[in-house]
Amino acid sequence: MASNKLRAFNATDEKEKEMDMSPMIDMVFLLLIFFIVVSSPLIVKMDPKVTPAIAYNAIDPSEKNGRIVLNVRGEDEYYRVDFDSEDAKMTSQDEVTEYVKAEVERIESLNSEYVPQLHLRGDRNTLFKFSQTAIKGAAEGGVNKVIFSVYPFEKTK
Amino acid sequence: MSRRKRGVAMEDDEPELNMSSLIDVTFLLLIYFLVTSTIQPKEKDLPMTLPSNAQSEAPVDVDPMLIAVKGTGSGFSVVVNKVEQLDTSVAGRERKLPLLLENLTQYSTVAKSSGQEPIVNLFIDPELPQQAAIDVLNCLRGAEINTVTFTEHAE
Repeated sequence: MASNKLRAFNATDEKEKEMDMSPMIDMVFLLLIFFIVVSSPLIVKMDPKVTPAIAYNAIDPSEKNGRIVLNVRGEDEYYRVDFDSEDAKMTSQDEVTEYVKAEVERIESLNSEYVPQLHLRGDRNTLFKFSQTAIKGAAEGGVNKVIFSVYPFEKTK
Repeated sequence: MSRRKRGVAMEDDEPELNMSSLIDVTFLLLIYFLVTSTIQPKEKDLPMTLPSNAQSEAPVDVDPMLIAVKGTGSGFSVVVNKVEQLDTSVAGRERKLPLLLENLTQYSTVAKSSGQEPIVNLFIDPELPQQAAIDVLNCLRGAEINTVTFTEHAE
């Protein structure tokens, strides 16, 4: 039969061994909620070889549907959204027009309310004439709305 | 009595994981990544409509503005309506063209007050980098002008 003193000692001993996990769980959930709130879904797949120009008046992307993505790396090289596939490269205005026409058909078959728009991801150091070729090619393909993809500020180092 | 004591001793010997070192390492890594990480800007949109798709319900009474952006070796110069030379290059961290923005804002206000859509014809030297074109388009957006025609002739 244990005495009251011994029982009390054993009880306090057990309490000391337990760690209170609730503050850590609080912190984890706080961080989780923070990152859920500040993060935003990716609108288009981004070609890492293209670094967009900077424009501080740019607006947040609102509509994902209807975008015809064209990456302009330079020197008459235009890449579709699936830039890493073998047939993603285009080298002339005619090829861009063909691609845009096909995309317009695809978008309109998905939903007639979608407005086809050219999502132009031009590298900031690429000569403008290549972007102009892409815009002309898209216009011939029936797309007159152009979204220039930009960064709102310079990347911090 | 002795049997009961042995039972208590066995309970005490149960292995327990010490979590404090794990939490220490977790926070150390968290602080390390917070300090060493760089902020990658999120891509945004600069939408423009080319005039063939623009709605033109009212007849055009306001003359379209012609902006010519010409390369000057190290940078570029902005000429409005063939005569008025404005900014010679971007200024500040935010890449501002203050004179062009002021001019465009005035033009946009006049056009909109007469119930018309401001239209800008834009010539950009084809040999200039994309960033120069975006600087001008950024000003157009700042002046709430969303319709632009790209022209291949500065004159």
